Amino acid sequence: MVNLTIDDKQVTAPKNSTIYDAAKINGIKIPILCHDKKLKPFGACRMCLVEVEQMRGRQVPACTTPITEGMIIRTSTPDIIKARKMVLELLLLNHPIDCPVCDKGGDCDLQNLTYEYKVNANRFSDEKFHHEIDYSNPLIERDMNRCVLCGKCARICDEIVSFGALTFISRGIETKIGCEFEGSLNCEFCGSCVSVCPVGSLLARPFKFKARFWALTNQKSVCGYCGTGCNLTLGVKDNKVLTTVYDENQGFHNGQLCCRGRFGYQFINSDKRLNTPLVRKNGSLTEATWDEALELVAARLKGAGSSAAALATPRLTNEELVLFKRLMETAGSANYDHSAGYAHAALTEGFAKSFGAAASPATILDIQKSDLLLVIKTDSYETHPVIGFEINMAVKNKGVKLNILSDKRGKLSKLPDAQTLVHTPGSEIAVINALAKTILDDKLAAGTAAAIPGYADLEKALAGFTPEAVAGQSGLAASAIKRLANDYAKAEKALILFPIGNAYPGHNADLASAVANLALLTGKLGTEGSGVLCMAEKNNSQGAVDMGFYATSGLNAGQIMDGCASGAIKTLFVAGENPVVSYPNRAAISAALDKVEFLVVSDLFMTETAAMADVVLPACSFAEKEGTFTSVDRRVQHIKPAIRNIGQSRTDFEIFGQLIAKLGGQAPATPATVFGEIAASAPGYAGMSYASLGETGAFAPVAVTAAFVVPKTVAVEPAAGKLALVTGSALYHNGTLSQFGEGPMHVCPEGYLELSRTDAAKLQIKENDLLNVASAIGSTKLKARITPRMPEGVLFSPYHFGAAAINQVWSGAPVTWVTVTK
Amino acid sequence: MNDILFRHNRPDRAVTLDEYRAEGGFQALQKALADLSPDAVQQTVIDSGLRGRGGAGFPTGKKWSFVPRNLPGPRYLICNCDEMEPGTYKDRVLLERNPYLLVEGMALACYALGVERAFIFIRRGYELAAQNLKGAIAQAHKAGFLGSAICGSTFNLELDVHQSAGRYICGEETALMNALEGIRANPRSKPPFPAVKGLWGQPTVVNNVETLSNIPAIVAHGPAWFKALAATPEGAGTKLFCVSGHVQKPLCLELPIGTTLGEIIDTHCGGMRAGSTFKACIPGGASTPYFTRDHRTVPLDFDPVAKAGSRLGTGGVVVFDQTTCMVAATLNLVRFFARESCGWCTPCREGLPFVQHILERIEAGRGEMADMDILREHVHKLNYAFCALAPGAMGPVEGLLRLFEDEVREHITGGKCPLGN
Repeated sequence: MVNLTIDDKQVTAPKNSTIYDAAKINGIKIPILCHDKKLKPFGACRMCLVEVEQMRGRQVPACTTPITEGMIIRTSTPDIIKARKMVLELLLLNHPIDCPVCDKGGDCDLQNLTYEYKVNANRFSDEKFHHEIDYSNPLIERDMNRCVLCGKCARICDEIVSFGALTFISRGIETKIGCEFEGSLNCEFCGSCVSVCPVGSLLARPFKFKARFWALTNQKSVCGYCGTGCNLTLGVKDNKVLTTVYDENQGFHNGQLCCRGRFGYQFINSDKRLNTPLVRKNGSLTEATWDEALELVAARLKGAGSSAAALATPRLTNEELVLFKRLMETAGSANYDHSAGYAHAALTEGFAKSFGAAASPATILDIQKSDLLLVIKTDSYETHPVIGFEINMAVKNKGVKLNILSDKRGKLSKLPDAQTLVHTPGSEIAVINALAKTILDDKLAAGTAAAIPGYADLEKALAGFTPEAVAGQSGLAASAIKRLANDYAKAEKALILFPIGNAYPGHNADLASAVANLALLTGKLGTEGSGVLCMAEKNNSQGAVDMGFYATSGLNAGQIMDGCASGAIKTLFVAGENPVVSYPNRAAISAALDKVEFLVVSDLFMTETAAMADVVLPACSFAEKEGTFTSVDRRVQHIKPAIRNIGQSRTDFEIFGQLIAKLGGQAPATPATVFGEIAASAPGYAGMSYASLGETGAFAPVAVTAAFVVPKTVAVEPAAGKLALVTGSALYHNGTLSQFGEGPMHVCPEGYLELSRTDAAKLQIKENDLLNVASAIGSTKLKARITPRMPEGVLFSPYHFGAAAINQVWSGAPVTWVTVTK
Repeated sequence: MNDILFRHNRPDRAVTLDEYRAEGGFQALQKALADLSPDAVQQTVIDSGLRGRGGAGFPTGKKWSFVPRNLPGPRYLICNCDEMEPGTYKDRVLLERNPYLLVEGMALACYALGVERAFIFIRRGYELAAQNLKGAIAQAHKAGFLGSAICGSTFNLELDVHQSAGRYICGEETALMNALEGIRANPRSKPPFPAVKGLWGQPTVVNNVETLSNIPAIVAHGPAWFKALAATPEGAGTKLFCVSGHVQKPLCLELPIGTTLGEIIDTHCGGMRAGSTFKACIPGGASTPYFTRDHRTVPLDFDPVAKAGSRLGTGGVVVFDQTTCMVAATLNLVRFFARESCGWCTPCREGLPFVQHILERIEAGRGEMADMDILREHVHKLNYAFCALAPGAMGPVEGLLRLFEDEVREHITGGKCPLGN
């Protein structure tokens, strides 16, 4: 700690602090415009000038000047106040005073500082700017006339988002922030730039003229899309979520969000939301009362036994999932599952066997503390963009080495010194086995490895996986595999990350076992910055696993679908899932759902699945609920209702509770009661309470019981004349819910087929050509997107879209062989 | 008096390597590599009292001594040849006549600093100088004065000439490093200082062309000889003065540092033009406050000039006669600085154009008395800008208000420029 004097107050601050930080932790406020705690010091606006006695009373910027022992600092002498006033006067020289129509009014740093420093009349005057306002995209408005050139937008886009969409252009008074070649904004639309803009230069267009900032009620919540568990503040007025409000102190991510989180909230108040229960009468769904609908469902479930089954979306709260399970148990059925039955297998089978726990032995916070990251699939950025930001920062700011093993290149491949090994689709497990084999052969294994159960079996099983043997099928050089194995094993701290989800059937239990073997062999586990992080797809995927909402003694999702088709399952209750779009093989799923006698769907929207139902129950979004979500790294977070239920909609908690009561069971009164039960029974949740979760949540620790498991590998046989289709997540989407978020749909409105330039040339395909994609199970039409990241012979398509759904051709195998014609 | 920098000059072309060597060139390097340790070379430069010739006048040896000894990784030397200060052209003349002094000087500096890769950052406009340098580097390579195992020693060095796209701000040493790295030429905040964390995050020394060109003579003849060259007791060495404006013979010449302003104009530049009388001058490049008739006896060395209220700067002397309107002259300079601001910090980006507009109003006869106070406030407050550009730009404005207040007042009260501009 360093001792110093600020405004005649003796204070201490950690070494390497700046004057600004030292003042801040001691409760002394220094005004800032260009400084942001997440970004590198900039020192440009000169609002934070302070006097340092040792520097002959010179005024220096607090945000860039490091403290030294015995420093004597004054933060608000008359001369400093004058200097700050002058900075404001200079900024206001060119700034349009259009505050009445500026959306930033009331939340504007320049406005607030001008008020605070009482700059009531500018002694200076000069010509205003006449920059054209960029309205070229529907999400972010850029008005450079209001810009104060703090550079935060360009800096955050470079330092955290690593996109680099914005930069400084020109010099002197003509300096402005612009896009390359003065073009319009065309980026990831994460809105990070909007969030840090201190003035009204960058505005969220969906929120424009919706409400004055001060008229909003801010409600803290947790994002309802992916499993990262980002914290959100919802801006609410008149029971409507009108925007997400940036709070730099929220969450491990300091308020950073991706496109879905920031611009995808509109589904909450969508006018497509279901308002009343619907019951099928004479072949068509007609409005009904809750009583009528619930009676029908209860009658079907009562004593149904194993002829009933349930599928839930892992977007439900932990408490709802517990209740849903209890409802099925009350009905006498153990047939319940989620995420197509395989998307969680990495946890429920892979990690459960390798680590003795169906959870990841690492957290997101380990990313920036590691020395080396091994990311399986570049899609990790698309599936969990804010985790992607953590990777960006680790690589760019902390010098963490990044290795990527993927079937295509991606945004992560562009990071400084990133090494991407592009393998043939479906060969990743073989490659990881080859890494393990190299570790064994090169004597890089930790001393503790041999004592772990299964070591001898693994050693034997890996015999055939020499880098040379795997090189052929994976398309990688044996030397590249050896280098990666050596880098990974020799790094002091190393972390493996991989995404799972409905679109990643290749990422199953075996992949999890394979990477677990690497970590166990080298002892990269159990210490800060090391481990394996499996990134599950939905906001509560890990919670669904922790609550045991998957097949243990009953049928899994695949078997439930088979049961529907065969007639063994007579009643199917689907809560929030949309299997018609998100499960592989649409024709088979549709046929199964067509066949099942009684289909109940609770959902926010009339999804493709709901449209087939006999009873549709209008459910609530996360913004209307109380409960807990568990993120991919088992951070358990408490959410509270931000708005009242929309229309007649009920939370799934209410729906399941009321059905349990109708079946004669005892339904817990509140989510809090259920969370109490969870804290008493779920492994790792012991001792938790709403109070202990607080605003930041709490981690459910993972106790590892290590074992080596030999992963199965299935050689993917190339099909002559066909191309390899792999599915996955698009950056702007998550599951099928994001189809109801305006932001994501503006940027990425439909499915597409991504292919290499070589294949496009061979097939004479141009960008946006409508292509006929056909596999053994069916065909669909998709627009062509030609990108340099795809290897020859490999196609990629995201799976989120109901129209022209990729599951019409995608069978659920890791690789689907298809033909593409115009 | 062409003791060091112009000693080898030919009247119409650059000196050749053979000619340079015949006159003792590269002997200092050979001597240092054979007989002196790097520390001894550095100590020689410290003892010589050499101060940086790029404008700030910081003691060169002291600057070198800030480089930490035991940091891992490479360290760099950059020669700053982004000479863009209005009124300054000494580095161009020097390189167009003798690039070998710089090559030898850099080799000695790199030897002293433990640098194996050095850069010459030269502005785009200096095409002939750059070609000379590239030729000289190639010749020195062939002769074994660059490359690996120089002169049979263990010392290796590669020199690279970087012809920059060129902007005034690139002359600021940290902006220069950004430009060299290929990113926008904004200055960096200090600390960390370049000597600790400079080019690509490694320890870096940035020296001016003239500064480095002095090193061979210092090593060859010793600190005492170098110090004795000065015209002032506290000074050291010679200085290139580049004179322009209303004198008979505008030219660049090498004189003992500390030669008085009067002697430079009257003895070396043939006095004022016919019909001209001396009104004022810029003593050291565009960012230095004016000198008037009263300053003609001031020795042009760092300390005496500072004591007289200005800065020696680069030694670019611009002489004005009685027909020069000082408001117009100041406006001309401020306009340059406003244009060349990188746009990073508020005072410089917003303040300079504003000052320019005030001066335009005053010059056009539309000024108000209150404008003078606003100008004074800017002279004071623009000191707190991110780098030295804005404070430098305020140098002439400060001089204007201090020395020519009456002339400014006349503009305002008379409603027009008294000189009829």
